[in-house]
Amino acid sequence: MSTLAETAPRGRTRRRMRIDGWRWSGRIFLVFMLLYTALPMIWMLSTSIKSGFAATQFPPQWWPDEPTLASYQKLLDPQNSVGQDFLRFFWNSLFVSTVTTILSVIVAVPAAYAFSRFRFPGRNFLFFTVLLRNMFPAVIFLVPLFILMRAIGLVNTHGSLVLTYLTFGLPLAIWLLKGFYDNIPVQLEQAARIDGATRFQAFILIVMPLSTPGIIATAIYSFIGAWNEYIYAYTFLSKNEQLTLPVGIQRFFSENTTDFPGLMAASFMMSVPVVVLFLVLQRYFVRALTEGAVKH
Amino acid sequence: MAHVVLKDLVKTYGGFKAVNDVSLTVNDGEFVALVGPSGCGKTTTLNLVAGLIPVTSGDIVIGDRVVNDLDPKDRDIAMVFQNYALYPQKSVYKNLAFPLQMRKLPGDEIDRKVKEAARVLDMTHLLERKPRELSGGQQQRVALGRALVRDPAVFLMDEPLSNLDAKLRVQMRSEIKRFHQDLKATIIYVTHDQLEAVTMADKMAVMNGGYLLQYDSPAQVFAHPVNMFVASFIGSPAMSLIPLEASTANGNTVLTGAEGWSLELSPRNVQKVAGATTGKVVLGARHSTIKLHKSAVPGSVPARAYTVEPTGDVTFVQALLSGAIVNISVSPNMAVAPDEQIWLEFDQERLHLFDGETETALKAD
Repeated sequence: MSTLAETAPRGRTRRRMRIDGWRWSGRIFLVFMLLYTALPMIWMLSTSIKSGFAATQFPPQWWPDEPTLASYQKLLDPQNSVGQDFLRFFWNSLFVSTVTTILSVIVAVPAAYAFSRFRFPGRNFLFFTVLLRNMFPAVIFLVPLFILMRAIGLVNTHGSLVLTYLTFGLPLAIWLLKGFYDNIPVQLEQAARIDGATRFQAFILIVMPLSTPGIIATAIYSFIGAWNEYIYAYTFLSKNEQLTLPVGIQRFFSENTTDFPGLMAASFMMSVPVVVLFLVLQRYFVRALTEGAVKH
Repeated sequence: MAHVVLKDLVKTYGGFKAVNDVSLTVNDGEFVALVGPSGCGKTTTLNLVAGLIPVTSGDIVIGDRVVNDLDPKDRDIAMVFQNYALYPQKSVYKNLAFPLQMRKLPGDEIDRKVKEAARVLDMTHLLERKPRELSGGQQQRVALGRALVRDPAVFLMDEPLSNLDAKLRVQMRSEIKRFHQDLKATIIYVTHDQLEAVTMADKMAVMNGGYLLQYDSPAQVFAHPVNMFVASFIGSPAMSLIPLEASTANGNTVLTGAEGWSLELSPRNVQKVAGATTGKVVLGARHSTIKLHKSAVPGSVPARAYTVEPTGDVTFVQALLSGAIVNISVSPNMAVAPDEQIWLEFDQERLHLFDGETETALKAD
């Protein structure tokens, strides 16, 4: 009896030490990952507040001696030609990404719901073909889509980008949301229908609120995809006033000189909407992971 | 409240018949249990009554209306689900208010009815909580409250107790029974637990493979099962079914076991055996109708004890007889050892005889 009592706690301590060992190596790993991802961003920020000369100095200054917001002022000044361009690109990106996001939610929600709830002939085949698009690299479709867009007269319009981004974003959005609807017990809708709701009311009043985290995740996914996309925007648009940010930012490179602080300031401001979006909505992601109020 | 009539109800999925020509009448204020093993069609039948799935053929009448083509919301029913199906984003109050809001009742009336239901079910203190903050029993009670707040014509309950632990299940069982007695509600209750059906229902409908096998009071079903399936499904421990061979020699009909012993039958049971399609007859007996003897007595047959399970009040002995396991309950004072030679005496008045081919109960003229 006494030997058991003595050895049991010791075994537990050893196990705790082993867990602590893992935890610490995990923490060190995370610190490295954080540095790896944060350093370029810190570098971007520090360069954006340097003067043109300081930005190209060697050895580099980690933090500028004379920080300046001149690049930001230039970019946000509508009187200045650089500022005019930047604000226009920003607006274009915002417009294309927002329209893409709204449309993809409008299409993905009912599509995912139908795939999740209804049994219809060809359901599996259709679902497979929806996902099929994602099995090929996006570049493959560049030329065919360009020819298609030219044929229907959409080249040099934002519509061409919205359509393209939708075809890229929807499959994953539908797949993601279907997972959400699969996890909402069908009995909730049945209960609502018995309680006096129509099928549509049951969807709007009961199912939609429960799938909010999924809808938001889908929206963020579409928005970021559209916001960051480069190749299609570069190919489909040629008029300066239509360019989106990823393409427009290239304007900071010219044959002889590159305005590095300006480029970095523009890059920083381009990342702001995405970061803000994430910060504001991240609790929904957490909720999406912890939601489990219903007994299965 | 209202009565419910199912007329030749059929539901097929592709070629699969989930519900097969089910006809039954639930009278006003009656508590009917649909009981059977999983996949027997009982939940499908309930969903047909609720209108959650369309009928393939047949009619469903609630009150005096044929409701085949009505939406669930127009059938004046309430349903309690196995997983309770409480709206997770709504508080208990809002869960209870939802069916009333959907029927566009005035706000003060909703408030009054919700509070009344909460009072009846003793959960006034829970009204502001979310379902996930409640215990299983409390969730179950909210589900019940959401059904009764509206005063529907029929209550449908789909295994409402199966997610509760054993102790709570017994407690909620009597609460639902009480609820039925107080409200004189028409209730259709689906369960795979025959004990729930037997203890709660006025009538039980035993289903298997989509067919309605027997529809009668629990006492009748218990005493006169129509076939071997019903016999073995209702009652715990299950009725023992022993395959035997009937033979007549010198005008004397006996049943012979695989071990070679033969059992003489009462005149009434001889009559029953005469109706069998072949010589194969299955003898059914409940544990309490078999007497265990330590030595041979007239009318007893030899068997071998297999396991002995004392439960305190009563000891269950399983014995091997003619290739079947026979359950016998004996007084805890009686010492029986495994592998001991014992003799079993069947109560001729209370034993059941089934046709070995068709598995249906044999009847005397």
